Amino acid sequence: MDPMESSGEENFEEESHKLVDSLDKLRVDASSSSNFKKKPIIIIVVGMAGSGKTSFLNRLICHTFDSKSRGYVLNLDPAVMSLPFGANIDIRDTVKYKEVMKQYNLGPNGGILTSLNLFATKFDEVVSVIEKRADQLDYVLVDTPGQIEIFTWSASGAIITEAFASTFPTIVTYVVDTPRSTSPITFMSNMLYACSILYKTRLPLVLAFNKTDVADHKFALEWMDDFEVFQAALQSDNTYTATLANSLSLALFEFYRNIRSVGVSAISGAGMDDFFKAIEASAEEYMETYKADLDKRKAEKEQFEEERRGKEMEKLRKDMENIVCNLRTL
Amino acid sequence: MASCDILSVLFGLGVWLATMGYAQLVIGPAGSGKSTYCSSLYEHCETVGRTMHVVNLDPAAEIFNYPVAMDIRELVSLEDVMEELGLGPNGGLMYCMEYLEDSLHDWVDEELENYRDDDYLIFDCPGQIELFTHVPVLKNFVAHLQQKNFNVCVVYLLDSQFITDVTKFISGCMSSLSAMIQLELPHVNILSKMDLLQDKSNIDDYLDPNPRTLLAELNKRMSPRFAKLNKALMEMVGEYAMVNFIPLDIRKERSIQYVLSQIDFCIQFGEEADVKIKDEDEDFGDDGPDS
Repeated sequence: MDPMESSGEENFEEESHKLVDSLDKLRVDASSSSNFKKKPIIIIVVGMAGSGKTSFLNRLICHTFDSKSRGYVLNLDPAVMSLPFGANIDIRDTVKYKEVMKQYNLGPNGGILTSLNLFATKFDEVVSVIEKRADQLDYVLVDTPGQIEIFTWSASGAIITEAFASTFPTIVTYVVDTPRSTSPITFMSNMLYACSILYKTRLPLVLAFNKTDVADHKFALEWMDDFEVFQAALQSDNTYTATLANSLSLALFEFYRNIRSVGVSAISGAGMDDFFKAIEASAEEYMETYKADLDKRKAEKEQFEEERRGKEMEKLRKDMENIVCNLRTL
Repeated sequence: MASCDILSVLFGLGVWLATMGYAQLVIGPAGSGKSTYCSSLYEHCETVGRTMHVVNLDPAAEIFNYPVAMDIRELVSLEDVMEELGLGPNGGLMYCMEYLEDSLHDWVDEELENYRDDDYLIFDCPGQIELFTHVPVLKNFVAHLQQKNFNVCVVYLLDSQFITDVTKFISGCMSSLSAMIQLELPHVNILSKMDLLQDKSNIDDYLDPNPRTLLAELNKRMSPRFAKLNKALMEMVGEYAMVNFIPLDIRKERSIQYVLSQIDFCIQFGEEADVKIKDEDEDFGDDGPDS
């Protein structure tokens, strides 16, 4: 089904019904857990716009090639103009972002979100392609849209993440723009956001402090290691409500102890070995905790998960309907 | 004659206090309902006879359901920037916002001149959190507003349909805090789209959080290694009311009114107005403190 073939309002409505139907068929079965594979490890790369996700991913791909690991690349950014690497599966092959914008009369953000929604409806195909090749793959590297919230706070982002996480060990890598995070407030803001991702996905999180060629991430490690050092830096930097900032830094201290951090440079290639070690350790953690929990919850929560996915599909349907309404009012 | 001097001083004081503005900075992830919130608020204020002006700060905005008093697209538009400079949506947005920052002292000030006298502005902002966490653009914009004697409050919207369990609630609190600490302003969190929420049974747990019950649930859902972190975060939720969310159902007038009064309280809207009225009475009523 090519969503780009049809045109016109009535066709769009028809399309959106078809999409919701195919989304209904996207069921992450209880049985998929029994098909659970230890490999490949899915690495979902997220980060703020400009943090260097794509460059970092490029470096990861080079590294897997050099170290004879078998990598598979998935690009989920519909608006990227050109990638420095070739993706095995690319959202842009299926969904044309500019066409989506034109056809559904959306702005750039709406266009990216809708493109991701459209792709999410086909995601069961992506998962089965990877399942078929599971024995031949070590890592699947996933590049996400430039603006982080399109992936982290969207129904389609959640569907894609969970489709992966219930079939393969999945690790979220949060890319940090190290030079931009040297101010304690920006650093804390970044870490709070990473914490938000941790709770949303409940998957192991690896912090990749990128651009270490520009700014060494040692300060970050110090701040994460000793919260008093961080609090001192915070106080000397600004006059913000000391009590909230202190409470936050104490909470974040617990956060740091539950994640792994590495300093990397996409440009120079530094930190690659450390990164993959962190990934492997996280995958172990995944199997011990998330997978075990997954199995345990499988029986209890199957119904709950289906209901929630139903809601997200409903939300998608409503989003599509809103677009139709907007089309009509123009 | 002395009484006239005092009166003129008081009058001057009244005028000075009167040139105060109020502003809401409406932020939140894409799709959280910012623009809908702005138009609902605008309609509500029209109904109750309050003056409110909506400003569009999103260079990528397309359709408006509200009359726009000030529009960044008159200054710079994302479409033009992307086309002329060959930038993608991210780069284009950053360019537009930096252009706005450069225009603070000309275009922005010019536009703001129309809204100085006890006026209430709502700024509909772009969704990208990068603009709050990573670059000082919006922070500088706010500082500029404050210099112009505006009381500013941040209104953070989150789609209530995403808060399906306690982990998502904590996640929402964290992402709100992430923006909040950068902006250093009074802050109101709103759970939007309550009208679209089909299963309302759980949402009260998050609107009126009981830290102990929620902590128990959180510990169940997260792996045991997170016990300490869960506790620390939940303590913060309990301790800091500013982390909490208020619900918004745009179909209900009283829901909009409640949200508005919470925000008014944060920016002390209404308090200055009282002072202004008092001074006018003193000016026209009495013969002065001597008599």
